[in-house]
Amino acid sequence: MKEQKRNKIQIYFDILQLLCRESKLSAKSCPTRVAHEANLPYDRFQKCLDHLILLSMVSRGPEGKLVVTSKGVEFIDEYQKIVDFLSRMGLLP
Amino acid sequence: MSVEALIASEFISAALALILVYFFFRTYRLTRSIYLLGLPFGFSFLAFSYVFLGMSLIYEKNVAISESFLWLRLITQSFGFAFVAFAYYFSSKSEKTTKYSFGLISLVSIISILLFFGALAVAPPCMELPSVNVTDEYFRVMNLFFLGYVIYYLVKHFEPSHRAISGLIWAPLAFSFLWLAQYSSLIWGIDGSQTAFVLAHVARLASLILFIRIYYLSRRA
Repeated sequence: MKEQKRNKIQIYFDILQLLCRESKLSAKSCPTRVAHEANLPYDRFQKCLDHLILLSMVSRGPEGKLVVTSKGVEFIDEYQKIVDFLSRMGLLP
Repeated sequence: MSVEALIASEFISAALALILVYFFFRTYRLTRSIYLLGLPFGFSFLAFSYVFLGMSLIYEKNVAISESFLWLRLITQSFGFAFVAFAYYFSSKSEKTTKYSFGLISLVSIISILLFFGALAVAPPCMELPSVNVTDEYFRVMNLFFLGYVIYYLVKHFEPSHRAISGLIWAPLAFSFLWLAQYSSLIWGIDGSQTAFVLAHVARLASLILFIRIYYLSRRA
Protein backbone atom coordinates (compact mmCIF):
# COMPACT_ATOMS: atom_id res chain seq x y z
CA MET A 1 0.00 0.00 0.00
CA LYS A 2 1.26 3.46 -0.86
CA GLU A 3 2.33 5.35 2.24
CA GLN A 4 0.70 8.73 2.83
CA LYS A 5 3.04 11.70 2.45
CA ARG A 6 3.48 13.45 5.80
CA ASN A 7 3.12 17.17 6.15
CA LYS A 8 5.46 19.33 8.24
CA ILE A 9 3.31 19.16 11.37
CA GLN A 10 3.11 15.34 11.19
CA ILE A 11 6.92 15.18 10.83
CA TYR A 12 7.37 17.43 13.88
CA PHE A 13 4.94 15.25 15.82
CA ASP A 14 6.87 12.09 14.86
CA ILE A 15 10.21 13.65 15.87
CA LEU A 16 8.87 14.85 19.22
CA GLN A 17 7.33 11.46 19.96
CA LEU A 18 10.57 9.67 19.09
CA LEU A 19 12.62 12.10 21.20
CA CYS A 20 10.28 11.45 24.14
CA ARG A 21 10.69 7.71 23.72
CA GLU A 22 14.47 8.05 23.36
CA SER A 23 14.80 10.07 26.55
CA LYS A 24 12.84 7.38 28.42
CA LEU A 25 14.97 4.56 27.02
CA SER A 26 18.46 5.98 27.34
CA ALA A 27 20.28 8.69 29.18
CA LYS A 28 21.62 10.19 25.96
CA SER A 29 19.46 10.63 22.87
CA CYS A 30 21.02 9.70 19.57
CA PRO A 31 19.95 12.16 16.83
CA THR A 32 21.04 9.81 14.04
CA ARG A 33 18.78 7.05 15.34
CA VAL A 34 15.86 9.46 15.77
CA ALA A 35 16.38 10.77 12.22
CA HIS A 36 16.43 7.19 10.92
CA GLU A 37 13.31 6.18 12.83
CA ALA A 38 11.53 9.36 11.75
CA ASN A 39 12.34 8.30 8.18
CA LEU A 40 14.18 11.55 7.42
CA PRO A 41 17.54 12.36 5.84
CA TYR A 42 19.87 13.72 8.50
CA ASP A 43 20.13 17.24 7.04
CA ARG A 44 16.34 17.57 6.93
CA PHE A 45 16.04 16.19 10.42
CA GLN A 46 18.58 18.78 11.61
CA LYS A 47 16.53 21.59 10.05
CA CYS A 48 13.36 20.33 11.76
CA LEU A 49 15.22 20.03 15.04
CA ASP A 50 16.53 23.61 14.76
CA HIS A 51 12.97 24.79 14.16
CA LEU A 52 11.65 22.80 17.12
CA ILE A 53 14.37 24.33 19.33
CA LEU A 54 13.40 27.77 18.00
CA LEU A 55 9.78 27.03 18.90
CA SER A 56 10.94 26.02 22.43
CA MET A 57 9.52 22.53 22.00
CA VAL A 58 12.94 20.90 22.29
CA SER A 59 15.92 22.06 24.30
CA ARG A 60 19.49 20.90 24.63
CA GLY A 61 20.14 19.64 28.11
CA PRO A 62 23.49 18.98 29.78
CA GLU A 63 25.96 17.12 27.53
CA GLY A 64 23.86 18.19 24.54
CA LYS A 65 21.02 15.78 25.33
CA LEU A 66 17.85 16.61 23.43
CA VAL A 67 14.94 17.13 25.79
CA VAL A 68 11.30 17.64 24.84
CA THR A 69 10.05 20.65 26.80
CA SER A 70 6.63 20.96 28.45
CA LYS A 71 5.52 22.95 25.37
CA GLY A 72 6.57 20.02 23.19
CA VAL A 73 4.73 17.53 25.41
CA GLU A 74 1.65 19.78 25.24
CA PHE A 75 1.87 19.76 21.43
CA ILE A 76 2.12 15.94 21.36
CA ASP A 77 -0.91 15.65 23.63
CA GLU A 78 -2.97 18.16 21.63
CA TYR A 79 -2.01 16.61 18.30
CA GLN A 80 -2.97 13.12 19.50
CA LYS A 81 -6.37 14.41 20.60
CA ILE A 82 -6.92 16.12 17.25
CA VAL A 83 -5.93 12.96 15.36
CA ASP A 84 -8.36 11.00 17.54
CA PHE A 85 -11.11 13.52 16.77
CA LEU A 86 -10.41 13.30 13.03
CA SER A 87 -10.42 9.52 13.22
CA ARG A 88 -13.80 9.59 14.98
CA MET A 89 -15.09 11.98 12.31
CA GLY A 90 -13.83 9.62 9.59
CA LEU A 91 -11.59 12.36 8.23
CA LEU A 92 -8.18 10.75 8.39
CA PRO A 93 -6.88 10.19 4.86
CA MET B 1 -44.67 24.41 17.80
CA SER B 2 -45.02 28.09 18.62
CA VAL B 3 -43.11 30.74 16.68
CA GLU B 4 -41.09 31.60 19.81
CA ALA B 5 -40.02 27.97 20.18
CA LEU B 6 -39.05 27.85 16.49
CA ILE B 7 -36.99 31.04 16.77
CA ALA B 8 -35.28 29.68 19.88
CA SER B 9 -34.56 26.39 18.08
CA GLU B 10 -32.95 28.27 15.16
CA PHE B 11 -30.73 30.41 17.37
CA ILE B 12 -29.73 27.43 19.54
CA SER B 13 -28.80 25.55 16.35
CA ALA B 14 -26.76 28.54 15.19
CA ALA B 15 -24.91 28.69 18.53
CA LEU B 16 -24.16 24.95 18.40
CA ALA B 17 -22.95 25.26 14.80
CA LEU B 18 -20.66 28.14 15.82
CA ILE B 19 -19.19 26.03 18.63
CA LEU B 20 -18.44 23.39 15.98
CA VAL B 21 -16.85 26.03 13.74
CA TYR B 22 -14.47 26.84 16.60
CA PHE B 23 -13.62 23.13 17.14
CA PHE B 24 -13.06 22.46 13.45
CA PHE B 25 -11.01 25.59 12.97
CA ARG B 26 -8.81 24.55 15.93
CA THR B 27 -8.34 21.19 14.24
CA TYR B 28 -7.32 22.88 11.00
CA ARG B 29 -4.95 25.28 12.79
CA LEU B 30 -3.02 22.45 14.37
CA THR B 31 -2.90 20.04 11.44
CA ARG B 32 -2.73 22.60 8.59
CA SER B 33 -4.47 20.12 6.30
CA ILE B 34 -6.19 22.32 3.77
CA TYR B 35 -9.12 19.94 3.15
CA LEU B 36 -10.19 20.37 6.78
CA LEU B 37 -11.15 23.99 6.03
CA GLY B 38 -14.33 22.59 4.46
CA LEU B 39 -15.74 21.89 7.92
CA PRO B 40 -15.42 25.35 9.55
CA PHE B 41 -16.58 26.89 6.26
CA GLY B 42 -19.49 24.46 6.02
CA PHE B 43 -20.67 24.86 9.60
CA SER B 44 -20.30 28.67 9.37
CA PHE B 45 -22.67 28.64 6.39
CA LEU B 46 -25.03 26.37 8.33
CA ALA B 47 -24.92 28.71 11.36
CA PHE B 48 -25.79 31.64 9.07
CA SER B 49 -28.62 29.64 7.52
CA TYR B 50 -30.15 28.99 10.96
CA VAL B 51 -29.85 32.68 11.83
CA PHE B 52 -31.51 33.64 8.52
CA LEU B 53 -34.40 31.24 9.18
CA GLY B 54 -34.77 32.69 12.68
CA MET B 55 -34.79 36.22 11.23
CA SER B 56 -37.41 35.24 8.64
CA LEU B 57 -39.60 34.04 11.52
CA ILE B 58 -39.03 37.26 13.47
CA TYR B 59 -40.05 39.33 10.41
CA GLU B 60 -42.78 36.93 9.26
CA LYS B 61 -45.35 39.74 9.09
CA ASN B 62 -43.25 41.59 6.52
CA VAL B 63 -43.40 39.20 3.56
CA ALA B 64 -40.66 40.88 1.50
CA ILE B 65 -38.09 40.82 4.32
CA SER B 66 -39.12 37.36 5.46
CA GLU B 67 -38.77 35.96 1.91
CA SER B 68 -35.36 37.61 1.48
CA PHE B 69 -34.14 35.86 4.63
CA LEU B 70 -35.60 32.57 3.38
CA TRP B 71 -33.69 32.92 0.09
CA LEU B 72 -30.51 33.61 2.04
CA ARG B 73 -31.18 30.59 4.24
CA LEU B 74 -31.70 28.38 1.18
CA ILE B 75 -28.39 29.26 -0.42
CA THR B 76 -26.24 29.33 2.72
CA GLN B 77 -27.58 25.97 3.91
CA SER B 78 -26.80 24.23 0.62
CA PHE B 79 -23.33 25.79 0.52
CA GLY B 80 -22.79 24.61 4.07
CA PHE B 81 -23.58 21.01 3.21
CA ALA B 82 -21.57 21.27 0.00
CA PHE B 83 -18.46 22.42 1.92
CA VAL B 84 -18.83 19.57 4.42
CA ALA B 85 -19.12 17.10 1.53
CA PHE B 86 -16.04 18.71 -0.13
CA ALA B 87 -14.05 18.15 3.09
CA TYR B 88 -14.85 14.43 2.99
CA TYR B 89 -14.27 14.18 -0.75
CA PHE B 90 -10.84 15.84 -0.47
CA SER B 91 -9.81 13.94 2.67
CA SER B 92 -9.19 10.86 0.52
CA LYS B 93 -7.23 13.01 -1.93
CA SER B 94 -5.41 15.13 0.65
CA GLU B 95 -2.04 14.84 -1.14
CA LYS B 96 -3.46 16.40 -4.28
CA THR B 97 -5.38 19.10 -2.40
CA THR B 98 -3.45 22.32 -2.36
CA LYS B 99 -4.46 25.63 -0.87
CA TYR B 100 -5.01 26.80 -4.45
CA SER B 101 -7.56 24.08 -5.27
CA PHE B 102 -9.49 24.79 -2.07
CA GLY B 103 -9.19 28.53 -2.62
CA LEU B 104 -10.56 28.05 -6.13
CA ILE B 105 -13.59 26.13 -4.84
CA SER B 106 -14.24 28.82 -2.22
CA LEU B 107 -13.91 31.56 -4.83
CA VAL B 108 -16.25 29.79 -7.29
CA SER B 109 -18.77 29.26 -4.45
CA ILE B 110 -18.71 32.91 -3.38
CA ILE B 111 -18.95 34.14 -7.00
CA SER B 112 -21.90 31.82 -7.67
CA ILE B 113 -23.70 33.11 -4.55
CA LEU B 114 -23.10 36.70 -5.66
CA LEU B 115 -24.23 35.90 -9.23
CA PHE B 116 -27.36 34.18 -7.93
CA PHE B 117 -28.39 37.14 -5.81
CA GLY B 118 -27.28 39.57 -8.51
CA ALA B 119 -29.56 37.77 -10.98
CA LEU B 120 -32.43 37.95 -8.48
CA ALA B 121 -31.86 41.68 -8.01
CA VAL B 122 -31.70 42.55 -11.71
CA ALA B 123 -34.45 40.17 -12.88
CA PRO B 124 -37.23 42.22 -14.50
CA PRO B 125 -40.40 42.36 -12.40
CA CYS B 126 -42.38 40.76 -15.24
CA MET B 127 -40.22 37.64 -14.97
CA GLU B 128 -41.91 35.07 -12.79
CA LEU B 129 -39.48 33.71 -10.24
CA PRO B 130 -40.32 30.41 -8.59
CA SER B 131 -41.58 30.83 -5.04
CA VAL B 132 -39.10 30.31 -2.25
CA ASN B 133 -41.09 27.32 -0.98
CA VAL B 134 -40.93 25.51 -4.33
CA THR B 135 -37.20 26.23 -4.71
CA ASP B 136 -36.70 25.06 -1.14
CA GLU B 137 -37.74 21.53 -2.12
CA TYR B 138 -35.12 21.36 -4.91
CA PHE B 139 -32.45 22.64 -2.56
CA ARG B 140 -33.45 20.05 0.04
CA VAL B 141 -32.99 17.28 -2.51
CA MET B 142 -29.53 18.68 -3.24
CA ASN B 143 -28.76 18.78 0.51
CA LEU B 144 -29.87 15.16 0.83
CA PHE B 145 -27.45 14.29 -1.97
CA PHE B 146 -24.51 16.03 -0.21
CA LEU B 147 -25.30 14.42 3.14
CA GLY B 148 -25.90 11.07 1.47
CA TYR B 149 -22.42 11.29 -0.02
CA VAL B 150 -20.88 11.96 3.43
CA ILE B 151 -22.77 9.02 4.99
CA TYR B 152 -21.74 6.78 2.06
CA TYR B 153 -18.10 7.91 2.50
CA LEU B 154 -18.16 7.17 6.24
CA VAL B 155 -19.73 3.75 5.78
CA LYS B 156 -17.28 2.91 2.97
CA HIS B 157 -14.28 3.89 5.10
CA PHE B 158 -15.61 2.25 8.24
CA GLU B 159 -12.66 0.31 9.68
CA PRO B 160 -13.55 -1.16 13.06
CA SER B 161 -10.07 -2.70 13.31
CA HIS B 162 -8.62 0.76 13.98
CA ARG B 163 -10.60 1.35 17.17
CA ALA B 164 -13.68 0.24 19.06
CA ILE B 165 -16.86 0.44 16.99
CA SER B 166 -18.43 2.65 19.69
CA GLY B 167 -15.91 5.38 18.81
CA LEU B 168 -16.63 5.26 15.08
CA ILE B 169 -20.40 5.10 15.10
CA TRP B 170 -21.10 8.67 16.24
CA ALA B 171 -20.11 10.56 13.09
CA PRO B 172 -22.29 8.47 10.70
CA LEU B 173 -25.08 8.72 13.26
CA ALA B 174 -24.77 12.51 13.52
CA PHE B 175 -24.78 12.88 9.73
CA SER B 176 -27.76 10.50 9.51
CA PHE B 177 -29.66 12.79 11.89
CA LEU B 178 -28.78 15.77 9.67
CA TRP B 179 -30.02 13.78 6.67
CA LEU B 180 -33.21 12.89 8.54
CA ALA B 181 -33.73 16.57 9.41
CA GLN B 182 -33.50 17.52 5.72
CA TYR B 183 -35.74 14.63 4.67
CA SER B 184 -38.37 15.52 7.29
CA SER B 185 -38.31 19.16 6.16
CA LEU B 186 -38.86 17.97 2.59
CA ILE B 187 -41.83 15.85 3.67
CA TRP B 188 -43.20 18.79 5.67
CA GLY B 189 -42.84 21.01 2.60
CA ILE B 190 -44.81 18.51 0.50
CA ASP B 191 -47.66 17.45 2.81
CA GLY B 192 -47.43 19.85 5.77
CA SER B 193 -47.07 17.01 8.28
CA GLN B 194 -46.55 18.42 11.79
CA THR B 195 -44.73 15.25 12.91
CA ALA B 196 -42.18 15.71 10.10
CA PHE B 197 -41.79 19.38 11.05
CA VAL B 198 -41.06 18.60 14.72
CA LEU B 199 -38.82 15.67 13.76
CA ALA B 200 -36.78 17.95 11.46
CA HIS B 201 -36.00 20.31 14.35
CA VAL B 202 -35.31 17.57 16.88
CA ALA B 203 -33.06 15.62 14.48
CA ARG B 204 -31.06 18.73 13.60
CA LEU B 205 -30.45 19.65 17.24
CA ALA B 206 -29.57 16.02 18.03
CA SER B 207 -27.02 15.90 15.20
CA LEU B 208 -25.30 19.13 16.29
CA ILE B 209 -25.14 17.90 19.90
CA LEU B 210 -23.69 14.60 18.67
CA PHE B 211 -20.90 16.41 16.78
CA ILE B 212 -20.00 18.30 19.96
CA ARG B 213 -20.06 15.01 21.88
CA ILE B 214 -17.61 13.49 19.39
CA TYR B 215 -15.20 16.34 20.07
CA TYR B 216 -15.46 15.91 23.84
CA LEU B 217 -15.06 12.13 23.57
CA SER B 218 -11.76 12.65 21.76
CA ARG B 219 -10.61 15.20 24.36
CA ARG B 220 -11.32 12.72 27.13
CA ALA B 221 -9.69 9.77 25.40
